[in-house]
Amino acid sequence: MGGITEMEIGLAHYLTVGAILFVLGIFGIFLNRKNVIVILMSVELILLSVNLNFVAFSAKLQDLTGQVFALFVLTVAAAEAAIGLAIVVIYFRNRGSIEVEEISTLKG
Amino acid sequence: MNWTLALPELVLAIGTLLILVAGVLPKRETYFPVCMASIGALLLTAVLVLAQGEGSAFGGQYIADGFSRFMKVLALLAAAVGLLLALDFNEKERIGRFEYPVLLLLASLGMLVMISANDLLVLYMGIELLSLPLYVIAAFDRDNGRSAEAGLKYFVLGALASGLMLYGSSLVYGFAGATGFDQIAAAFNHQHGVSAGVVVGVVFVIAGLAFKVSAVPFHMWTPDVYEGAPTPVTAFFSAAPKVAALALLARVLYDPFGDLAPQWQQVIILMSLLSMVLGAFAAIGQQNIKRLMAYSSIGHVGYALMGLAVADTAGLRGLLIYMAIYVAMNLGAFAVLIAMRRQGKAVETVADLAGLGRTDPMRAAWMSIFMFSMAGIPPLAGFFGKLYVFLAAVQGGLWLLAVVGVLASVVSAYYYLRIVKVMYFDEAAGRLDDAPASLGVVMAAAGIFTLAFALWPAPLVAAAQSAAMALLGG
Amino acid sequence: MIVGLAFYLFAAVLLAAAAMVVLSRNPVHSVLYLILAFFNAAALFLIAGAELLAMTLVIVYVGAVAVLFLFVVMMLDIDFARLREGFQRYAPIGAVVGGILFLELLLVLGTWQFASEATALRAAPIQQGGLTNTEALGRILYTDYVYLFQLAGMILLVAMIGAIVLTHRQRPGTRRQSVAEQVARSNTISLEKVPVGVGVRALSIRRPPEPELEPRQLAPDPHGQGHGGHH
Repeated sequence: MGGITEMEIGLAHYLTVGAILFVLGIFGIFLNRKNVIVILMSVELILLSVNLNFVAFSAKLQDLTGQVFALFVLTVAAAEAAIGLAIVVIYFRNRGSIEVEEISTLKG
Repeated sequence: MNWTLALPELVLAIGTLLILVAGVLPKRETYFPVCMASIGALLLTAVLVLAQGEGSAFGGQYIADGFSRFMKVLALLAAAVGLLLALDFNEKERIGRFEYPVLLLLASLGMLVMISANDLLVLYMGIELLSLPLYVIAAFDRDNGRSAEAGLKYFVLGALASGLMLYGSSLVYGFAGATGFDQIAAAFNHQHGVSAGVVVGVVFVIAGLAFKVSAVPFHMWTPDVYEGAPTPVTAFFSAAPKVAALALLARVLYDPFGDLAPQWQQVIILMSLLSMVLGAFAAIGQQNIKRLMAYSSIGHVGYALMGLAVADTAGLRGLLIYMAIYVAMNLGAFAVLIAMRRQGKAVETVADLAGLGRTDPMRAAWMSIFMFSMAGIPPLAGFFGKLYVFLAAVQGGLWLLAVVGVLASVVSAYYYLRIVKVMYFDEAAGRLDDAPASLGVVMAAAGIFTLAFALWPAPLVAAAQSAAMALLGG
Repeated sequence: MIVGLAFYLFAAVLLAAAAMVVLSRNPVHSVLYLILAFFNAAALFLIAGAELLAMTLVIVYVGAVAVLFLFVVMMLDIDFARLREGFQRYAPIGAVVGGILFLELLLVLGTWQFASEATALRAAPIQQGGLTNTEALGRILYTDYVYLFQLAGMILLVAMIGAIVLTHRQRPGTRRQSVAEQVARSNTISLEKVPVGVGVRALSIRRPPEPELEPRQLAPDPHGQGHGGHH
């Protein structure tokens, strides 16, 4: 049932939306050099684009594997967000800021 | 369902949970016993891996063969030694908390999963199970700004690499209609001429994996993280996860993407060249010895990738031997670095080693052995590691790679020998504290391996040969 | 037709929201746009027939992850103005590089080809009729994918241990309940049968001493500013 309605849209549309999201995510990581939290959100956007791809392929191929993959990606992404935010919190405690460019005590 | 095949993973997982409970419940400090139990669990798992049968389980998602056995044993031993290195250091730095060994155990479980992965989904989950604990232990010294910074940098770049790899995986899934390596291989096998979309997918997957082995141009995180993280964490980073990630890279390239060899070979050759050259030149000016070791490890990954680029049994055998030798000499060298303390305070610049040859001749001797070996001076193990990959490259017709490799190792010999020179000929910078027994054991074991490999290379070479045959099928 | 319109609507809002996540000046706004993006992505999942994923995205992502982001953004005292410095400097070149990357992806994806064997290789084809999406996923998630399901459990355990190890602090001087101690105190509390109609004092039942009433509180406030404080 799901697959039949999907055919109206077509794979290319989904892949295009996924590609734009992916590029926006990459763009966000490299542009928001100073704000780690927005970087983490950009990572979430990348993972969302990946999930969109998986769902689109899953619908097109009429195969559930893609949806299972997306489900696991969601799970892992939640765990990743938790750890990322924990690291941001301890970084902030040490530095009193979340700027990435300021992260330059380590250089050489 | 043949789940008993995955007995080592099951035992390690259950053991980790038991150790976690045993660490949480008592009221007193449980760091030392938990470390010991964790080392025991890792060694037990290694024994189980040696006794493991061959075949696949969980509907083809899990695979056990000679290749996985070799790599798993190597990764587990490296993890156990990595934990042993942290035993004393963490307590002195007041980060001796029982969660550290538990996180290392979970990361080791992730490595086993990666090495046995036979499905893109398992590959991803294995990498994440390895990476997430590593992000945490990089920032483990949480009251130290540099450690938190290392964790943050590693996390951001690691998450980006995972994202790239996943995007690639989604394209490969879309192409093949399945995520199993066998099915993907079948899809490529029946295809005449591959479309650009799936090649982009494959390249993204390789890029994600290259990040984990810190090959150039995905190495940006390595020096900062190596310098900022607590030294035993750096030692761990430089050994076990690289073994697992290279094993996974080899399996992915040869198994599902085997028919694309002409395409990916170019990518691997380029990464190998760049890694060797960068590893040789960028380390020259480094004063911080952890940073120096970071560039050194990038260079070593370049040599190992040379074996992968050849894409035949000899090359793969070279890669396996190289990794085994690299792990031994690298952990030995890190044992010396972790023991570097002056009046109870950890020091980490090259100048702090000055005069070690007079104040502690034994430790200086071990360090010189590791440095000579890394530089590839003949009777030591490191020379043979390089020899096997160079020979494979020459036989495979990759002359350029072999020549650049030799030149890069000549350049890199400069900074390895500089350390030896500082230890023996520079004005003493003051006596270093005595090394604790656990570090002395690691130095001696790694040192004897490095020295004696030339006398008795047959067992390792034979094991690597059969492991390589198992992956490439003869 | 309607599905097509809905797709374009949700896709457009999704992309606009995603762009605002990246471009927004205030991280709190970024999180709110992220939530909007998740809702619209869930709608796209629904259109593609992935019902369970759509619901999971709303419940887990909007409900937990985005709120976690919001917590952290608000907990940390961030100087928003400073975070913007340098953004404009990189924006044009970033936009150019991003545009090129996007065009390349479009070029590559526009000519998408499936492997000739793709339909035959599928591991879990969707059966027509009968099963709902959730039921079909449930049937394979706990059987064919049990290995990965367990691994996901381990990953979540890592997240839990990691977050606790990094952020939990044992503060000196905090008072907490000690259950074991409370259960173990047996002889300090006793149950006594009290005769009815007798004064408490006469039975000499132990009771906590009455607090000394401070005269200051009892005395009427001469200025008539009883409880209000300052207005």
